[in-house]
Amino acid sequence: MLEIENLHSQIGGTDILRGLSLNVNAGEVHAIMGPNGSGKSTLAQVIAGHEEYVVTDGSVTYKGADLLSLDPEERARDGIFLGFQYPVEIPGVNNAYLLKAAMNAKRKHLGLEEIDAFEFLKLAKERMAMLGMDPKFLNRGVNEGFSGGEKKRNEILQMAMLEPSLAILDETDSGLDIDALKAVAEGVNSLRTPERAIVLVTHYQRLLDYIEPDFVHVLSEGRIVRSGDKSLALELEDKGYDWVREAANG
Amino acid sequence: MKQTALSLPALRGVVESMSDDGLRPAREAALRSLDTRGLPTLRDEDWKYTDLSSAIAISNQWLKNGAPAASDDLQGSIDEITAAVAANWLIVANGVIDDTRFTPGDAIDVERFSATTAPIVADRALADLNVALLQDGLRIRVHATPERPLGILVIDSANDAAAVSQANIEICVSDNCSAEIVEYHASVGEGDHYANTIVSLDTGYRSQVGYTRIQNRRIGHVFTGRISAALGTDSTLDMANYDIGGGLVRNDVDINLAATGAAANFNGLYLVGDNQHIDNHTSVEHRVGPAVSSQEYRGILNGSCRAVWNGKAIVFEGADGTDATQANHNLLLSERSEIDAKPELEIYAEDVKCAHGTTVGQLDETALFYLQSRGIDKMQGRQMLTHAFAVDLVSRTPVDATRDAVNALVSARLEELIRVQAQ
Ligand SMILES: Nc1ncnc2c1ncn2[C@@H]1O[C@H](COP(=O)(O)OP(=O)(O)OP(=O)(O)O)[C@@H](O)[C@H]1O
Ligand SMILES: [Mg+2]
Repeated sequence: MLEIENLHSQIGGTDILRGLSLNVNAGEVHAIMGPNGSGKSTLAQVIAGHEEYVVTDGSVTYKGADLLSLDPEERARDGIFLGFQYPVEIPGVNNAYLLKAAMNAKRKHLGLEEIDAFEFLKLAKERMAMLGMDPKFLNRGVNEGFSGGEKKRNEILQMAMLEPSLAILDETDSGLDIDALKAVAEGVNSLRTPERAIVLVTHYQRLLDYIEPDFVHVLSEGRIVRSGDKSLALELEDKGYDWVREAANG
Repeated sequence: MKQTALSLPALRGVVESMSDDGLRPAREAALRSLDTRGLPTLRDEDWKYTDLSSAIAISNQWLKNGAPAASDDLQGSIDEITAAVAANWLIVANGVIDDTRFTPGDAIDVERFSATTAPIVADRALADLNVALLQDGLRIRVHATPERPLGILVIDSANDAAAVSQANIEICVSDNCSAEIVEYHASVGEGDHYANTIVSLDTGYRSQVGYTRIQNRRIGHVFTGRISAALGTDSTLDMANYDIGGGLVRNDVDINLAATGAAANFNGLYLVGDNQHIDNHTSVEHRVGPAVSSQEYRGILNGSCRAVWNGKAIVFEGADGTDATQANHNLLLSERSEIDAKPELEIYAEDVKCAHGTTVGQLDETALFYLQSRGIDKMQGRQMLTHAFAVDLVSRTPVDATRDAVNALVSARLEELIRVQAQ
């Protein structure tokens, strides 16, 4: 589904990603861990298409086609979803309105009719119930005045409504209480099908107790320095990142 | 900068040719006053951003043609507007009063200036011009709470030749009454047009007035409009101003708080694009306390255009217990757009609460990317974000019957504004 080869990317003239390669197949869940500032969010933003991140070398292929030539909105309509590490507050844009506009943009791309208002509301309420969200959040401004955890839940709500092919969740587990973590995990697991792939960026082994990854990667200084199965996450928790860095250099 | 002068001999000729009715002495007094006072120029502190040259040029052209002409049929446009806002409509079309759509009822008395002997006030230059050329004015008294909003539509056309029109309306809301009032300005036609309107509003003891003012003149047409409101004891004025169209536009909102317990809450939204210059001057005089005034104006500018917001508040000596706030926020979508935002506070009392803030910003790129990442294209994203900036003010129209119309006008205008790609 997603093939990243030798990706180099910079922001503000600084090299952040330095030759990153990663393959994600349909049906797989990948976890990406790594120290602060190692480039995890950069990778997520490059895949989503943020124009401030300049790709200087390498390639990204999604569903067999060049991803980097697409606008962010085209990527989204084609099934890529980024759960932001810092979801953006947009006062004055109604949460339900955005959800519906996002769904309709995707449906239009797929040649489908706009979603019926009643059907939309029903679906939204269903997904909100699954995530333990009060339906009142539908009528608030997008993330406006939401608590940290509420924002993360709202990201997952968007994901659950948009049903992406490839979901990249950038530290969606940070700032969640234990109930929210379980709800979010349930939301993610419900999307886990043979046709979809999920990339979880996280600092905590805890999330991986609820969403079991097929692969765990360690990102350091803009490169993947180690990959393994879920036991790698446990090992990291135990030994810290220096262990991986030393192993990579030595 | 030399400003074109109004041709007074031509003006005198036209005034003399107008009907010999009860307004004649007032017209002549105004003419004399105009002779000494002249029209405002860029040298006047209050007018330094707004050049009336085009208004004067249009007036001279019209006067030269022997004025007035413009009798085009406006019924289609009037039908549209009066259908969009359910109100009891009084119309001033090309400066001529038309009360055929007005249903007289128990709550509202309407008289024409020409039918009464009450003095006609002209206290400043544009009022002089207004009264000198006034065909007739409306004196409206709301003496009970009406069932429907009162609508005042000032509409003009300029099809072939340049045209000028005046409207002058006095509204008095009696003690303990509630009233909803809509003041709507529109114009059609390819020709040059200048409209000059004066409204004065008196609110009685414990009265409550909701007032929505919509200015949707043709882009290219010139408009100067003033509303002066004097608030009675414990009365409330809730007002919203929407500038959707117009070429050169100058609005003056004067609020006089000379009675205790009065509260004026007035807000404005201006949407400004290519070839527009929208100037909002507000002035609040806190003469006694306690009394409250609050205003928030918001502007969205795109393309080659200019907007002015000047918010003056004077708190007079002894007006203790004054609470005055003012805010002005602007969204600048183009480097060719210009905004002059100026709060002016003069405080001579002791116990007052005053606050003001102005901001000028661009579209939030982070928010735009967030929307794109959800499948919304840039154009729609910009629409959503600009609409978000305006929506709060749209919702603040105090006259429910205008809500849908305001929403539709604002959305349509924003869509036009955004389609012009930001430069
Ligand atoms: N505009 C910028 N100019 C220069 N450097 C930047 C800019 N934006 C981000 N960076 C740097 O890029 C590096 C990678 O940042 P990124 O957000 O990808 O890290 P991360 O792995 O997600 O970290 P964290 O775990 O803290 O979220 C950091 O060192 C950061 O300071
Ligand atoms: Mg990060």
